[in-house]
Amino acid sequence: MSLLEIDHVSKRFGGLRAINDVAFSIEENEITFIVGPNGAGKTTLFNLITGVFHPDEGSIRFQGQDITHISPNHAARLGIGRTFQLVKPLRNLTVLENVMLGAFLHTSSPSKAAEQAREVLKYLQMEKAMHFTASGLPVAMLKRLEIARALATKPRLILLDEVVAGLSTAEALGLAELLKKLPEWGVAAVGGVEHVMQVVMSIAHRVVVLDHGTQIAEGKPQEVVRMPAVIEAYLGAKYKELGL
Amino acid sequence: MKRFHLLAAVVVFVLSLLLPLVVETGYALQILFRIYLFAALGLAWNLVGGYAGQLSLGHAAYFGAGAYGLALFSGKLGVSPWLAALMGVVVALACALLIGGVSFRLRGPYFVLATIAFAEVVRLIAKNLPNVTGGDVGAQVPALFHGNVNRAFYWAAVMLTALAFATTVAISRARFGYYLMAIREDEDTALSVGIGAARTKLVALLVSAALTALAGALYASLFLYIVPDQVLSIDVSNEIAIVAMLGGAGTVLGPIVGSVVLESASELFKDIFKEAHLLIYGVLLVVVVLFLPEGIIGTLAAFLRRRALFGGIKAGAKGVAAD
Repeated sequence: MSLLEIDHVSKRFGGLRAINDVAFSIEENEITFIVGPNGAGKTTLFNLITGVFHPDEGSIRFQGQDITHISPNHAARLGIGRTFQLVKPLRNLTVLENVMLGAFLHTSSPSKAAEQAREVLKYLQMEKAMHFTASGLPVAMLKRLEIARALATKPRLILLDEVVAGLSTAEALGLAELLKKLPEWGVAAVGGVEHVMQVVMSIAHRVVVLDHGTQIAEGKPQEVVRMPAVIEAYLGAKYKELGL
Repeated sequence: MKRFHLLAAVVVFVLSLLLPLVVETGYALQILFRIYLFAALGLAWNLVGGYAGQLSLGHAAYFGAGAYGLALFSGKLGVSPWLAALMGVVVALACALLIGGVSFRLRGPYFVLATIAFAEVVRLIAKNLPNVTGGDVGAQVPALFHGNVNRAFYWAAVMLTALAFATTVAISRARFGYYLMAIREDEDTALSVGIGAARTKLVALLVSAALTALAGALYASLFLYIVPDQVLSIDVSNEIAIVAMLGGAGTVLGPIVGSVVLESASELFKDIFKEAHLLIYGVLLVVVVLFLPEGIIGTLAAFLRRRALFGGIKAGAKGVAAD
């Protein structure tokens, strides 16, 4: 049994097929990246997994349980954490309080939640910003705060939507180094990225490529980048022969 | 720090209870009653409007439920006044359950619109059911206290404020309080960490409605007579919200400060400016909204927090922010 099984899922918005017959599965403690250009359906897929939307066809299972029609807060309780592409910090709360809200999923004690939040912040190298309000943080920190808050819920699976978008290459690689350690926390991760292949190649165990809502490739990173369909989607048909 | 706050609160509470030994005129006690009553109402509103960020402009419905509950259960059914007041609280809870249960599932301005509409509907029903509520003629309210009523009602208002204050402090320090703030800041984020947002908001509204209904019963019983356009009017809803926002929505002390400032100011202006006092009142509000959008306490807390963070004083920054 895989941790997460996406079973031939489709989702339409009016005439637009946002997700078209996508099927793959995520294993425990594995880092998978969903790669695809803007509009490929990555965020929609994350919203389907976390119950923000529900699929028109197909089903989704998490730890063997059918979660096709789950609600977002229930998904979190089952162990699916997520970050938002457009960061959604609790602006008027401090960094520590933001992360405590994740930790509250497993404890009702503010002091225990604070203790757990500090641990997560330490891992993400954010302890120094602990008492700042979230509204004043730069983008790189806000991205980390998203991860910290989700990680504090002690998820089994964390969905990282465009986690390196808007970061400089140095910031992105720094974050990638931290993400590499996620399996040590007992967390499997699914990241969505547009084109920061450096990050993908360095930390992904597996890659799924989406294009216009359709899954065009799946496999190990080194294999996927050589697949003709992927090269065609990214670079155009004429580069296929070059065999990059 | 925290112990100091608790001590300060207890000292203020005891001094408030002792105040009638110095202030003896009925007029002054009635003004003080009003200050404490609206402090309690502001604190109650603050749980929903401040902490959870769900703007309610229909708290008159719960206020009126408490007032009419006391009047009708006692007057028509012959229940003892205190029990009738509690039954009014139950009616207010039912109203809150109805309005929150329906509108908290929606996002955006629906909740505030629903609160206004609901309170207006309740007022119109009360006006048009003369056999039950007395309609526009009004209803008699039994006395909850006898003897030196001004003093007794003043004490009751102080106790109610203390209850609302203690409830607010307890909630603001518990997980539940953090949940409310998370919902205010971003409901999607709240959901993503497993918070059942609709249910959490509903619980806050129930607590708020119960406290508001108690205040309504006290108010009605002091004046012994109520009409729909008084206890169920949108003016009541507005005043409750304004008290909390003026003092600082989402802070523990805000509504109390707001009530002291607003109620004493409006009393003062009534004397000095006669009919023009409403104008002054309006100007004051505009000034607050423009220059102190976070209210008196909110602005003060933000200032102290900045000073604490950048002045190198590490301890206490969090305490100032929370309190």
